[in-house]
Formats: sequence, structure tokens, C-alpha cells
Amino acid sequence: MIRVNERVLLCLSLTAAEPWPENATLYQPLKGEGFFSSSCSLYHLQTYLRMCGLPVQVVCRPNAEYMSPSGKIPFIHVGNQVVSELGPIVQFSKAKGHSLSDGLDDVQRAEMKAYMELVNNMLLTAELFIQWCDETTVSQITRHRYGTPYSWPLNLILAYQKQWEVRRKMNAVGWGGKTVDQVYEDVSQCCQALSQRLGTQPYFFKIPTELDALVFGHLFTILTTQLTNTELLERVRSYSNLLSFCRRIEQTYFESKDS
Amino acid sequence: MAAPDELFCWEGDWGLPSVSTDCLVVLAYAQFAGAPLKVRKICNPWRSPSGSLPAFRTSQKETLSRTSDIIIHLRKQKFNADYDLSAKEGADSLAFISLMDEKLKPALIYTFWIEPKNYVDVTRRWFAEHMPFPLNFFLPGRMQSQQLEKLRLLQGDERLEAGEELEKELYRDATECLNLLSQRLGSQKFFFGDSPSSLDAYVFGHLAPILRCKLPNGKLQQHLKSLDNLANFCSNILLLYFPRDGRDGCSQKSPPQPDAGDFDNVPSKRRKQLLSAVVALGAMLGYALLTGIVSIQHVQQEALEEPPDLEDMGSHEEEGDG
Amino acid sequence: MGTVHARSLDPMPMQGPELGVQADDIEAPGVQQEPKQEVLENKDVVVQQVHIDGLGRTKEDLLTYEIAEVFRAKNLIDVMRRSHEARQRLLRLGIFRKVEVIIDTARGEHALPNGLDVTFEVTELRRLTGSYNTMVGNNEGSMVLGLKLPNALGRAEKMTFQFSYGTKETSYGLSFFKPQPGHFERNFSINAYKVTGQFPWSSLRETDRGISTEISFPVWKTNQTLKWEGVWRELGCLANTASFAVREESGHSLKSSLSHAMVIDTRNSSILPKKGGLLKIHQELAGFTGGDACFLKEDFEIQLNKKLFWDSVLSASLWGGLLLPLGVEKTSIADRFYLGGPTSIRGFSMYSMGPQSDGDYLGGEAYWAGGLHLYTPLPFRPGRGGFGDLFRTHFFLNAGNLCNLNYGEGPQAHLKKLAECLRWSYGLGIVLRLGNIARLELNYCIPMGVQSGDRICDGVQFGAGIRFL
Repeated sequence: MIRVNERVLLCLSLTAAEPWPENATLYQPLKGEGFFSSSCSLYHLQTYLRMCGLPVQVVCRPNAEYMSPSGKIPFIHVGNQVVSELGPIVQFSKAKGHSLSDGLDDVQRAEMKAYMELVNNMLLTAELFIQWCDETTVSQITRHRYGTPYSWPLNLILAYQKQWEVRRKMNAVGWGGKTVDQVYEDVSQCCQALSQRLGTQPYFFKIPTELDALVFGHLFTILTTQLTNTELLERVRSYSNLLSFCRRIEQTYFESKDS
Repeated sequence: MAAPDELFCWEGDWGLPSVSTDCLVVLAYAQFAGAPLKVRKICNPWRSPSGSLPAFRTSQKETLSRTSDIIIHLRKQKFNADYDLSAKEGADSLAFISLMDEKLKPALIYTFWIEPKNYVDVTRRWFAEHMPFPLNFFLPGRMQSQQLEKLRLLQGDERLEAGEELEKELYRDATECLNLLSQRLGSQKFFFGDSPSSLDAYVFGHLAPILRCKLPNGKLQQHLKSLDNLANFCSNILLLYFPRDGRDGCSQKSPPQPDAGDFDNVPSKRRKQLLSAVVALGAMLGYALLTGIVSIQHVQQEALEEPPDLEDMGSHEEEGDG
Repeated sequence: MGTVHARSLDPMPMQGPELGVQADDIEAPGVQQEPKQEVLENKDVVVQQVHIDGLGRTKEDLLTYEIAEVFRAKNLIDVMRRSHEARQRLLRLGIFRKVEVIIDTARGEHALPNGLDVTFEVTELRRLTGSYNTMVGNNEGSMVLGLKLPNALGRAEKMTFQFSYGTKETSYGLSFFKPQPGHFERNFSINAYKVTGQFPWSSLRETDRGISTEISFPVWKTNQTLKWEGVWRELGCLANTASFAVREESGHSLKSSLSHAMVIDTRNSSILPKKGGLLKIHQELAGFTGGDACFLKEDFEIQLNKKLFWDSVLSASLWGGLLLPLGVEKTSIADRFYLGGPTSIRGFSMYSMGPQSDGDYLGGEAYWAGGLHLYTPLPFRPGRGGFGDLFRTHFFLNAGNLCNLNYGEGPQAHLKKLAECLRWSYGLGIVLRLGNIARLELNYCIPMGVQSGDRICDGVQFGAGIRFL
């Protein structure tokens, strides 16, 4: 979900003049912990910051989810502000003078925002569903991974608590009664829409924007995460232009920097 | 085709075929796609096959509740309003529907169910007046807490409460969404050319209640009215596809209504006040009598003619009365 | 020879609030003697029978221990004294509302000429008592419901349940207490609770859900307590403006700890004592029975009181503590010590001393605090003998320090660190005693040695609490 927190806007108005500091830090949970939703947020945020050319250090903390002001991970700690979620971070970096979507006209910006919501609405919710509402995945992978930083019996209590919370959310958005196959269908539909929009272009619009970062984050996560079955992977792989899009972004922004 | 599918939905008001967004979406899509539906307008969600409205009963007696499921079902029955769309337009449809779900829906929930003045003056009154007895006493309140819970889950904040801060945040997102929709629509009749599609149905379903309903706190309404192309879009659809309801809505605004309203209110209010005062007094008096705080003593005439040895008792009685 | 009734005193619960008359201030009941009974004082008597009337669900074997001493009385004064003591012991169990003692000559076939029968007439407490309070505080209201089952199974077991439902937080607690029959000081209890607390000085919100079991027993003059506690702690920021150091501590953790406490208390009262001293040493070891938190915590409390001329009392106290992390991780903000405020170093704001970050106080791993007080009666002694006795004037001098230690260095370096940056304050004020549990203070304080980052409250400061430096 992309929301602009009131507090973020207050901070923006006060610190717009300061440049991006060198010691900006990005906090994420421990490597194995959140798997889907946390690693995808990590990728799309890192991609976005790299696209803007903003340096950031990555720190892993087991309680990153609780440290974040909105409960969403990852979040960045810049100067003395803490900002979480892609939307507010985009606004924040815009206030500091770094923006990717300035070159777009109004109609294109409307489309970009709509597609970002599409990804959030369908892909993110589908990932949460598969991670927490699909019994096989939950019992074999998720619960164990979520509870690793804690000792018994806290690891079980927290895992069950989170599962119950996510189930409630699914019921609220109307996904409560869906089966896993229906969710896979929705993912396919979303990927098809993205694939159609992308076509043969290198990026969704003329220049890389936050939409590219977001789509890359989600797709890369799905492509690289090990699940109990490979159906989701297969469905995403069937869209070749999306695959090459991911590879392109990975090569441009991640491999060159690492080397 | 076999027996037509049935759609149970909320009743309409203010010139709309239904007051609920989801019901409007389904009704609009069915009209656009030309699907023959048997529409049952009810005000009692307990009488619907799924316990909530809208509810769609197919000819195979299967019940669907989600709007997306209903539209998919209609599409499978070859009633497809998106037939003429290109692949890119279909993708855009999906994107804009998601945009409305994320940005506009929370604001709608807030406007109708959480904002105190709107809820008490409009929403609760409408549901209480239209629902049968005894549901009208508790069901609106229950629906409100369900909607608050839903908003809390959507926003991800368990401690969310109605207030100016929340209103500002939600309305900001909603106005941005409305602006984006307006930009996308431009000067066209429908979003994708000359024939309406599922995106038009969704937009109509979300915008029509805001436009038509008279809300005391109508910030969103004002903004929407300022976007001419969206306002015309909604009126256009009403005129073309729901002419009967539009006309009913107009005829309801006939002159006797304001007077009738006042006239109705005053005597019934007085009556209610008088009745409640009488009941309260009667209850207190009854309690006092039953517990003996107040007791009524009968002084019998015969007591004064009692034989002399009971004179003491007689005098005591008199003292008691005095 | 008539019967002698011991004077009934008001019932006293075994541990807990006692508002009003002080037990220590009351002397043993006087004896109403008829001139004829002077002879009886010197005469040997034998207590032949002791009856206890009015028992319902209480089991008799529990009570035999309490009244055993009565049989050993040799003369009448002794009988009365021992029965008074037995009555105290019976009331201390907390299962009787009223105990009356009747001493009469022995009757029946086996009655000796100098035999006595002692009868304790007891009224048991009701099986279930409830209480309901509403409390209103800063922007918050709550409803507290309490249920108590005294003497649940007949041997002075006590079960209590408390539930507090507030506009902001809810909390509850369930506890079960069982003393050993005959040795009331040896007891064990089990508690389960959920408590939420808000700490504005650290911008921290803490929710604890835990279970604990504890055993107490006396050893020579001391009272020892062993406790195991398992707590699930959830920390969060109180406001979005909390500093990052506090934000880093948010999250869940599990603490499973064993602790031991030793208490020697020879004071005559715990609030405003006139004589005696207190030594309390407490240590807690966490992490070796499970859980995430791993540390060793030591703290001690010493207090000495001496009565001076003119009804004034000089009191000196010293507190100190040390928290040693044993694992790899840093200590949690919920385990550290806090100092400052009207109950410790007066003149400083509540817990607003020591290491801090952006105005949020993080607590420290080592501290010490000392106080020197002179308590005198109110000047001109208004209301003497009654209400005025609850008030005292006091002059105080407090000093202390709270800091984090570098554990790599030796003890010399630690002592040096604790001694530098010393904060101290002095002043005078009025103390009001509330029964035997709490005290209110209104002081005029002058803080000195204030370090940057501390928040002071110089001038008039009001304090209410149970444990004061």
C-alpha cells in the first residue's frame, strides 16, 4: 500500500534543504526471516535508491519490523528521520531533489501510479497470501523462518499471531475465501497486464522510474525464492519480456556495483 | 439460456438503482454487457443467500459474493463488456481498478461510515429506516464496526480512530485518485472509447454515491463536483442505462417533501417525549410502591366503630395517618 | 471467678494494606482484674482444653500449630499472653474476619481445680469476595475488577484475580498463594499476569505477559525468596517522535530468569520507621533457563534508623545495583536501572538521569544512591496525638549516580566512573504517612551536580510512593 504519512510530510517541510547524508541506513530483517514480502521490499527499495544514485548502507536486524514506524519493512534512517514504505521514501527523496518521474507528463504519471497500485494490490497481496494462508507453505517454511530470531515458545506464539493477523487482513480485502489456484490466476493476470504494458520497451516508460523498481522487486523475489511448489515460478517465467526486464535491471544496478 | 441468474442487492435511493458501491458496479456491468438478470432489491441482508449484499445466485444455484467473481462469471456466460478492448487497455483497466481500490475505497468507507456527522445523519438513518424490525436496531451499528475494522486492516493501524488527521490523509489520497481518473478520462464519453467497459462500471459504482447522496460533511463531494467530466460521466450512465431510477429520484424531490418532513417530525417527536416521560414516571412509581418506600393506607370507616378494647389500636391508626 | 475476654482488635490481613491504627503502637491488652483474682496470678494453672468454634471449611490440622503454644502456659498472665499471640497468628493467616478469645475455668469430668479452657471464637471470611473500582487518570479511565478466594482449599490458600479494563490498555493477573501449615513464613505462590506500562521519560511502551513461581522461607533472622519468572516482553515506541535508540529496542523478547532475594528487616515499620534497619540483597540470573535475555543483575538496599532527642529520627539509606550482560547482545532497556525523581534522588524529574538520547532516558547498567534524612515532628506540633502524628518534617540530603560501565576495565576504573559526575541534592519537606503502605511527600529541593542531559525539578516537588530513598 502506498500511503503518505503525515509525519513524513512534516519532516519533508523541515529538512528539504539538507542534502542526502552519507550515512543513510536501510534496515531489514535477518536474511532468512521474512522471505517474500520483506525481501521484495528490500529489492525494490534498493533498486530505487540505486537508480537515483543515492548511497545507503544495509543493516540487518531481527526486530526491523517492530522498529519501523508503520510496521512495514524495510525502512531507512536518514539523518534523524525514519521513513518506511516506497511511497513516502519517493516523496522524501524528491524533497531532497532526487526524482525519477519528473520527465513524465501528467497522463503517464497517472498511469504509473495506477500500475504501482496494481502491483501492490495484486502481487503484494498474493505474496502475503501464499506466504501465510497456504497451509503447506506456512507449516513447512514460513512459521519456521519467522520464528528463528526468537527462542521457544516465543517463536511459535509470534508466528501464529502473525498468521492470524494476515488472515484477518485477507478477509478484509476480500481474499479470505480464495484458494491458492485462484491466487495463482490473479498473479498470472497481473503479470499479463504488466507484460502487455511493457511490450518490447526496456522500461515501462522512457526512463527508469519507481514503477520499474517496484516491479523488479516483486518479480525478482518470486523468481529467486524457494517455495514448496514451483507453480508460481513457472507462471511468472512464462512471460519472457518480464524475465529479460528483470535480468536487465539486475545487471545494470546490482552486478556492476558489486564488482 | 437456463433460468436467469438472480442478483440480490441493496435498495436504491437518491436517484440511484442501489446505494451500495459493489451492487452498483455489478448492476452497471450487467447493463453494459446486456446480461439478463433478475434483480431483487432488498433491505435485509439476512435474506440473501450468502448473508451479505450483493449476492449473485447463478442458475446452478451457486452463490457468489465478490464483485470480481460475479463479473468473471458473467464473462464466462459470454456477457463481456471488455470484448473490444485491446490488450493494453485491458491492462490499464486492471491498473485503474486497483488504484481505486487502494486510494478511493478507504475514503469512501470513511465518508459514509466513520465520519460521525455523515454516519449519524445519513447512513445510519437510511439503514434504520429501510431495514425491517428488529434488525434496524442493531444491524447498522454492527455494519459500522465491521467497516471500521476493515478500514483499520486496510490502513494497517489497529488504533485508528475517526479524526481530522485521518480524514485529511484519506481525502488527500482520494482527491489525487479522482484527479488521475479525470485526467485519464479526458473529454471522452467512456474510458475506452464509445462503449463502456468494466472499468466504467467500477468508476460509476464508486463515484455515483458520492455525487448523489446529500452529505453534511461533503468535502469529497465538492471536489468531485468540480471535476466536470467525471460528474457528467456519472449522469450520462444514469441517463442511458438506469432511466427509471433516475426519474424516480427526480420525482422524489417534489415540493411536499420538506414540509412533510417537518410535519412528520414534530408530532412524533412530541409523542415520543410524552411517552418516555409517562413510562419513566410509571416505572418509578411502581418501584416505589412495590418496595414499600411509599405505601397507601386505607382507613376503614369500620375501625372507628370498634369495641372499646380496641380503642388503643384505633388511636394508633389515627396517629399513623396524621 | 469470671471469664476474661481478650480485647478484640480490628482484623488485620496477613500481608497488605493496613490503614489506621498501627499494630506496633498498640500494647498488649490490659487485664481486668477483680481484687479476688490477685491470688490467681501467682498460682499455677493448666490449660486443659483449647476449643476453636466457628470453623467451616478451614481444616483443623492447620490451626493446631498456631494454638499449640497456649498449652504451655504456666500462669494466668502467661495464658493471656499466649492466647493473645495465638490470636495474632490466627489473624495473620488471613482467613478469619474476627477472632475472639474466651478464657474460662475448665468444666467437665476431668476438670482440674486449676484447669482452664480457652476458646477461640472465629468468623471465617466469605468464600468469595469481589471488589470493583473505577480509576481515572491522565486522559485515561479504567475499570478494575478484583476477585479473591481466601482459604480456597481450607489450609489458608489464597487465590486472587484482578482484571483492569481501560480506555488505553487492559491488564490482568491471577495468583495462587499457599503457606506451609504450621509455618506461615514458608510459602509459595504462582502468578500469571499481563501488565502494560507506559514510560513517558523513555518514550517507551511495554507489555509484559508472564508467569512466575516463588518460594519464601525464613533462615535464622533473614527471609529468603527464590523465584523463577518467564516473561514475554513487547516493547514499542510511545510516540513517533521517540529517539532512534529507543526505536532500536522495539520488538519482542523472552526473559526466563531465576532470582534470589534476602531480606533482614528489624525496623518497627516500613514507612517512617523509628528504629531498626533493613538489608535487602537481590540477584537475578537470566538466560540459563531459556529465553533471549541473558544477564546477571545484582542490587542491594540498606537502611538504618536511629532515634535522636526530642522524637526526631535520623535515617541513612544506600542503594546500589549492577547489571552484567552475559551473552553476546546488549542489555535491554527494560532491564536497566533508572534513577531520579521524588522517590529516589529528589530534585530531579522522574527517572530522568543518566544516559539519554534525544531526550529519551535509556537507563544505566550500574548505579548507586544514598540518602541522609532527619525526620522531626511538625513545628509547634499541631494536632498532637491524632492527625498531626501522621505528618513529619524532614530534611534530606540525596546523592547518586547512574551510568554504563565498560566491563573490560578493572574494578578501580568502575568505581572511578561511578564516583565522577556525581549528582546530589538537598532540601526539606513534609511527609504524610498513609497507613502502613505508602507515603506522600511535599519537598523543596535544590539539585546540584546536574549533568547535561538530566532533567531537574528544582523548587517544590511532590512525590507519592511506597519505596523512598
